[in-house]
Amino acid sequence: MKKLVSFVLAALMLFSLASCSKSSIPVIGISQYGEHESLDNCRTGFLDGLKGAGLVEGKDFTVNYQNAGFDDNITTQIAQNFAANDVAMMVAIATPSATACYAAAEDKNIPVIFTAITDPVKARLDSGNITGTSDKLPVEAQLDLIRKLQPDAKTIGIIYTTSEPNSVSAIAEYEAKAPEYGFTIEAVGVTAQSEVTMAADTLISKNVDCMSNLTDNNVVGVLAGILEKTNEAGIPVYGSEVEQVKKGCVAAAGIDYIELGKQTGAMAAKILRGEAVASDIPYETISEYGIYTNTPAAEALGIDIPADITAKAIESAE
Amino acid sequence: MLNLIISTLTEGFIYALLAYGIFITYKILDFPDLTVDGSFPLGAAVTAVVINNGVNPFLALLISVAVGALAGLCTGLIHVRLKVRDLLAGIITMTALFSVNLQIAGSNMSIIGIDTIFRLMPFGDMPQIYRKLIVSLILAIIVKIILDLYFKTQNGLLLRSVGDNENLVCTLGIDNGNMKILGLVIANALVALCGSVVCQQQQSFSATMGTGQMVFGLAAVIIGTTIFKKMSFVKGTTAVMVGSIVYKACIQTAITLGLPANLMKLITAVLFLLILVLGNLPSKGGRKHA
Repeated sequence: MKKLVSFVLAALMLFSLASCSKSSIPVIGISQYGEHESLDNCRTGFLDGLKGAGLVEGKDFTVNYQNAGFDDNITTQIAQNFAANDVAMMVAIATPSATACYAAAEDKNIPVIFTAITDPVKARLDSGNITGTSDKLPVEAQLDLIRKLQPDAKTIGIIYTTSEPNSVSAIAEYEAKAPEYGFTIEAVGVTAQSEVTMAADTLISKNVDCMSNLTDNNVVGVLAGILEKTNEAGIPVYGSEVEQVKKGCVAAAGIDYIELGKQTGAMAAKILRGEAVASDIPYETISEYGIYTNTPAAEALGIDIPADITAKAIESAE
Repeated sequence: MLNLIISTLTEGFIYALLAYGIFITYKILDFPDLTVDGSFPLGAAVTAVVINNGVNPFLALLISVAVGALAGLCTGLIHVRLKVRDLLAGIITMTALFSVNLQIAGSNMSIIGIDTIFRLMPFGDMPQIYRKLIVSLILAIIVKIILDLYFKTQNGLLLRSVGDNENLVCTLGIDNGNMKILGLVIANALVALCGSVVCQQQQSFSATMGTGQMVFGLAAVIIGTTIFKKMSFVKGTTAVMVGSIVYKACIQTAITLGLPANLMKLITAVLFLLILVLGNLPSKGGRKHA
């Protein structure tokens, strides 16, 4: 029992040590939902955005970065930690982190800046001392791109995780917009990453003309496995961001998360400087999307990428 | 610092509700109940939907208790009546609940800006952080007292004997199976109640929020009972409440220490191990260990 008491006391001391290292430089608490290329890019872009606005880390602000490892319960505790330490601003990357930060910040009225949220209105994060950027996919641009590359295609297969809010709302938009471009959507929902390649088999057996990816974590995680199957079957797969095209998708009209992060950083800089209040700034959706193409992958599947698209492509993997 | 302690205590009190549930299944019934990972978000999903439709948040707590009880009933019937192994019975219900939860509330649902039990308490201008502490403390204590009283009733004593000595219960002419079902019903009602409170506290439901709750509950029960092993006057419910707080404090410590994010789980694991070892892990080959 004595040992236990001494351990608890030691833990408390560590606790207070860690929390007394405060200084007058404002702290930005960054709560990221999990370790993931796109989300990491958001964070990198965000810090670039602050730098671009003339703020210097260590002089104008310091960063307390926390990562919840995709655990919803940890996001709550991270947010409470930020609130207790009176951070100057909370930056939330992805929806679960944002709602947790918002709930923890309301007492102290700490501004919350979010990014990588598809639908801030549905998440009710569109009012209050909160603002940020949405990473809604440019669905129409993607449909347009597919139409140009495959003029005869009729069905687009999409695999998505039924529990990922971003994917569910993207599917709804695909289904709403597809008829305008003469497509029908064949969507297959999965609940876990282990089901994704089976879903790919299902879509291949349904003879879809091509497949299109969302920013779905489960699907993107096993992209290589999907591509192996689709390449054998001769079905082109379209990505939703540059990283997927680099891995072997034919093309993508997608978001650049670094740019999204920069845009968010610029908004945050205004708030840190006191030039604006988060509650007065409406959330922003990225206006610029990039076209990315992968020429070898397209050639292997017998797809000609029209010259005007290649010319527009921001990045062309060779 | 004070705020951090208050937040951590609040988390501990809220999750104590779930830990009570696991205490009943794991410690009393000796039943590894995996239903928890499904019934916890079930409580939250139902709460998010009914609150969004203007139902009083206190009533939402009761509705969650009812649906949680149903989930426990399913596992109980599958195990006892259909003779499916305990672990599998829980897995079956948990898996089914994943789809049920998605049907109820979609992949996630926000209740930001809507009154919750924390807001509705007549505490004047008190900040949310204190409201949350007081409300969660009250809930944790009320439920604890009800459980303690129940354990002393004839029915409660029977429940406690099911896990220890099934034969005794049989000789008394009581159906073991029915007692197990009852235990699962109570446990999952508590778990769903916890889900409802968590949903109102973080103002959102997410389909993945149940992941790992069973593990948390087990850890809380084992930490709590280990700490108070030598103090037999401390009730099991009190012990798991403390266990829940200690667990949440471990995680908060890991966050506060500012350790590399990817190492957090490892650090948390080391902290648990330290607590268990220092609390002197079971010595002479008892039956149920971590």
